[in-house]
Amino acid sequence: MSLPDNTAARDEILDRVRRGVARQDFEVRRAAAEAALTAPTRGPQPHMATDTAALRARFADKAAALASSVESVVRLAEAPAAVARYLESHGLSKQAVATAEVGALDWTLAGISVAVRAAVDADTVGISGCFCAVAETGTLLLCSGAETPATVSLLPETHIALVPVARLVATMEDAFALVRAELGDMPRALNFISGPSRTGDIEQTIVLGAHGPCRVHLILIGETS
Amino acid sequence: MHFHARAAERVRNPVLQKALQKAKPLFVGKRAKGVASLADDGLDFELLRSTAESIRNRVLADLDVWLDIFETRARVSGAEVLWARDGDEVARLVVDIAQRYGVTKAAKSKSMLSEEAQLNEALAAAGIRPVETDLGEYIVQLAGEAPSHIIAPAVHKTIGEIEALFAEAHGRPEQPRTSADIPAMTQEARAVLRQHFLSAEMGISGANFLIAETGSAALVTNEGNGRMVTTLPRVHVVVTGIEKIVPTLEDFSTLMRLLPRSATGQTISNYVSLLTGTRREGDQDGPEKTVFILVDNGRANLLGSAWQDMLRCIRCGACMNHCPVYFSLGGHAYGWVYPGPMGSVLTPLYTGIENALDLPHASTGCNQCGVVCPVRIPLPKLMHGLRETQVERGLRPWRERFALRAWAWVARRPALYRWLTRGAVRYLRWLVDGSGRIRVFGMAPGWTDGRDLAAGSGKTFHELYAARKRA
Ligand code: SF4
Repeated sequence: MSLPDNTAARDEILDRVRRGVARQDFEVRRAAAEAALTAPTRGPQPHMATDTAALRARFADKAAALASSVESVVRLAEAPAAVARYLESHGLSKQAVATAEVGALDWTLAGISVAVRAAVDADTVGISGCFCAVAETGTLLLCSGAETPATVSLLPETHIALVPVARLVATMEDAFALVRAELGDMPRALNFISGPSRTGDIEQTIVLGAHGPCRVHLILIGETS
Repeated sequence: MHFHARAAERVRNPVLQKALQKAKPLFVGKRAKGVASLADDGLDFELLRSTAESIRNRVLADLDVWLDIFETRARVSGAEVLWARDGDEVARLVVDIAQRYGVTKAAKSKSMLSEEAQLNEALAAAGIRPVETDLGEYIVQLAGEAPSHIIAPAVHKTIGEIEALFAEAHGRPEQPRTSADIPAMTQEARAVLRQHFLSAEMGISGANFLIAETGSAALVTNEGNGRMVTTLPRVHVVVTGIEKIVPTLEDFSTLMRLLPRSATGQTISNYVSLLTGTRREGDQDGPEKTVFILVDNGRANLLGSAWQDMLRCIRCGACMNHCPVYFSLGGHAYGWVYPGPMGSVLTPLYTGIENALDLPHASTGCNQCGVVCPVRIPLPKLMHGLRETQVERGLRPWRERFALRAWAWVARRPALYRWLTRGAVRYLRWLVDGSGRIRVFGMAPGWTDGRDLAAGSGKTFHELYAARKRA
């Protein structure tokens, strides 16, 4: 469906902007800007150890500080049992919706019934993997896609994410570098997630579970060194 | 109503004063902790500020180029890009899009620009129901009010007031509430708003930044409502200012080390989303249509002017959180969309200097705002500049102009000046009562309503100077 013709507004605004900028050589400057985009430079970077053990410790630490719970298993195949234990200990349902990347694990054996699809309002548990995770802030990065619908980490009250230790990076910049290297184009949505949703809008009192999940549980997967 | 009248009313409102007194130390303390945490990673706040300042300056210096690049890349990724000269045009475009797509309800994530455009009113007039979904925005929408803070829209509301609004809107009896009930009240709003997310055909959001490199909108929220309105409805409209561009994802990363810390003291907000284009082939969720509306509404005129620095603003709210004037009056006293120091600069610039004469004077000159601003906007300097412009354009009230002229006349006559000042200091000395202080300032008792005036020596500067020289 087409949208209203809007070129008059566009021309007028850009004209005003050009007068304000008051510089000549639009094409030269544009080429220079395009060139700058191909060689992005980073701002001041945090000083932090980046070996796997340090990244893992920092990620777990920061994620816990943001009210996620964190546990570790050695092999991916152990994840379903860990999820089952978590759900049981919190008295949560063993019906879950999951993204395709984790859907292939043996959930039935762990007693969890998993539907691989986008989430709907009635889903109470969502299980996903992650594209990578950022140790600096204890943050997950999820990319939307056919196999990884964004709703799985959004609609259910409980979000459980499997985080391979090999996918830990130090900073947000490192995460973007990985997106460029592995995906090329941006997915529709890159979602950085740092713990359960929260609000402080009633008398500045922080409450978990505003619109997104009330609980975020992270399962780190990989050898502990 | 004028600023003076609004301010006087606010100062005398005990409920508002209670809400504000509660919030201020929280805001200040959280930011201080957040900024201090940078040092744990060997990051220097001042260096980050300089970097952020230069990122924003770089964009403004070539804004024509960056807008062109953003527009091109956003279109390549599948989004549409429209432009709006002013608030009315924003409203017209959004209503037009809504009608083309048969929208009956629009779920909104927080957008201050939609307040500039009075978008909710325009949608409602066209028979489209706008639902604010940020909890604070939802509360002020139920109250029929405007936000009083750019990141904490309902900071002026007490729990009792919110309970009354919820009881009425959700059709249940009002109950006595304490802070222990805040989780339950949040749950209640969550359940109501969830239904709106699922049924709205259109989602409307702002953008904290526009990334030129990827043609994306960056959205930073804690509640997750930003994710909801950009994921569930069929159509997503991004309403944002033309100045919001940052060149690269790296530049965005730098700003993200400053924005949440400056706003709420968080090292990162719960949800940081970069949204590019529309639903892809095979995707099971996401909007089918994404439209950017890039809004001028006075911004372009600031480019190349004495006020260009103001366009660096990343809307963190730190300036108002540290402003003694803001916390005495609350945001509504400022009369337009943006309160606090940034509002005292933006409101006259966007709505006309002659329409907001008092705002650049609503400052104690303490420069707390200038010290905390993450992109180093010299807010007090800009307010002074606006005061000068008022004088140059002859916009000050005649009494003030007359008084200044009279003072200038006297100041050029030393004998008269000395005689008058001597009279004045003697008068002040005479006002000192048994407490050794001035408790009621005779000619203008309002000044001593809330505080005493220190007693002077009863001598003029000239007299003291002469005495000291003799000694
Ligand atoms: S002026 Fe500075 S401190 Fe105030 S909201 Fe803008 S960026 Fe934040």
